[in-house]
Amino acid sequence: MTTLSTPLGDSGETLIEVTLEGGHDSLVSTASVAGPFEPHRRRTDRVIAGVAGGIADTLGVRDGYVRAAFVTLLPVWGIGGIAYLLFWLVTYDKVDDRSREPVETSQAIGLAIAFAGLLFLLGAFGLWPNTVVVLTAAALSFGTAALTDPDSPGPFAALLSPGVEKVGKVRLVLGVILLAGGIIMFSNVVGRLFDLSVVFLAVILTGLGVFVAFGPWVRRLLTDLSAERGERIRQESRAEVAAHLHDSVLQTLALIQRTDDPQRMAMLARHQESELRDWLYGTAPLDGIDLVSTALKQAAAKVESDFQIPVDVVTVGDRAVDDRARALVAAASEAMVNAAKHSDADRMSLYLEVDDEAVQVYVTDQGKGFDPDTVPSDRKGISQSIRARMEKAGGEVVLDSAAGEGTEVMLKLAL
Amino acid sequence: MSIKVYLVDDHRLFLSGVKAELDTDFRIVGTAYDVDTAIDEIRTLRPDVVLVDVHMPDGGGIAVVEGVAETNPDVKFLALSVSDQAEDVIAMIRAGARGYVTKTIEPNDLADAVRRIHAGDAVFSPRLAGFVLDAFAGAIPSDDDPELDQLTAREKDVLRLIARGFAYKQVARKLNISIKTVETHVSSVLRKLQLTNRHELARWASKRRIV
Repeated sequence: MTTLSTPLGDSGETLIEVTLEGGHDSLVSTASVAGPFEPHRRRTDRVIAGVAGGIADTLGVRDGYVRAAFVTLLPVWGIGGIAYLLFWLVTYDKVDDRSREPVETSQAIGLAIAFAGLLFLLGAFGLWPNTVVVLTAAALSFGTAALTDPDSPGPFAALLSPGVEKVGKVRLVLGVILLAGGIIMFSNVVGRLFDLSVVFLAVILTGLGVFVAFGPWVRRLLTDLSAERGERIRQESRAEVAAHLHDSVLQTLALIQRTDDPQRMAMLARHQESELRDWLYGTAPLDGIDLVSTALKQAAAKVESDFQIPVDVVTVGDRAVDDRARALVAAASEAMVNAAKHSDADRMSLYLEVDDEAVQVYVTDQGKGFDPDTVPSDRKGISQSIRARMEKAGGEVVLDSAAGEGTEVMLKLAL
Repeated sequence: MSIKVYLVDDHRLFLSGVKAELDTDFRIVGTAYDVDTAIDEIRTLRPDVVLVDVHMPDGGGIAVVEGVAETNPDVKFLALSVSDQAEDVIAMIRAGARGYVTKTIEPNDLADAVRRIHAGDAVFSPRLAGFVLDAFAGAIPSDDDPELDQLTAREKDVLRLIARGFAYKQVARKLNISIKTVETHVSSVLRKLQLTNRHELARWASKRRIV
């Protein structure tokens, strides 16, 4: 009886199903009543002591089939009766007659095949006193159970019902074929009950029955596991996004609310915008190579935050940063600082163009400009510094400005 | 007769802001928060210029431009977006928009852009000018129409100045040409951008996902 007792032993897992099914029960009262779902004897709707009914409730199958199983096993040296008494001893009367949700059709078929396998196994070990009596008992009891099943006019009704999912139908047909095959093969070897092939067949049938019956359950368990893992990954990435938004965007929004200065407000928004863009679209350098465009954007971002002036960066083409390009970036940085300090412009442009012949950077503002011939001394120092850097790197500087016309500094490195 | 403007943006707060900014200079004939409403209303209201957001559910700005272009080719579109990713910008222009500006544009500049679009010109933000230069750089012309696949030296000059932040007026002065000529160059670049079948263009735009 080991095959049948396995599902009975695994008992506690139906708590939640039952609670949900209960619907009207409050959570508290359900929790106090619902113990583990153990094998029990049914007190109502019973024929002898409610043992078969209790097993049926626990397995989630119709009680008629469980009774049929006991009846079938009765002529096999009284095993049916002995099993009934054993169950009677180890179970107790259940107070609340809750039944488990009905198992799937395929699972029920699986249970049936497992039972058939067990029956043949017993036969293979010579425990059938009379083949005809056992088979007749099986046919009669199960036939009766099927005919009296309140759900359907017969076990094959499930095949025709549109509600049964395709996989279930296939399983059902497969199970029936296996069972029929088993019976046909068995009838071929009636009289050679100790033949090893019959034992083999019976073992296979039992195994297949168990597989068909519990395969879906195992698969669901695995699916649940992977779904849980997926959900955990989703939650982790959501937490990561939330953490980032909290550290950056929310902080900036808080700062903006506490700021009265519209210019500072705009700068905060702008800085946050470019930071968020970097995070969203990832401007990470290619293969760890620092690009001139990236270096210039960083320099521009620093000027933006240091001097609260927007810098519009446009780049065309690109190349890796080398020593000369580093000098170019430093010079561009100084030019931007210069424009931020002295131009009075409300924004500036930084334009980079790289082609086969040269790297060119333009720092342009629409501010007050100046006459290059009468450069104020404070501006002279910086423009000399820019010039010195570029000349050292073998480049050139062109300054274009006039009073009231804005200023443009062009930095060029010939390649 | 003031210019009839229609606004499409799924971001309601932004849309109401733009509406308030443009309300004094233009006749805002309608607004829509989604693609289908926009297409239906633009067909019946026949605005002169439509400001359309790029990223919206159900196909975005491209769906609006393409949906209206079938029935009302005279309606002009200006794309307005927070995104300045190359593939979005290029796709909108290829769909038929006559200009592309980012949502950080100053209200005055936006009003100028609407007027320019209405006059039949193209509106290039500095960023768009940069994209076009980058996309046409090192052009290997295809056999069928080499002229479409390359920018002239003058067009490149104009685009470079736009990319450096100069207004059309300043570009004209720097190059010693008239504003009308600048506009002609820009429109010509727009036409090339829309009609060229350089396969590099699409490839360039999709690989350049950096902002």
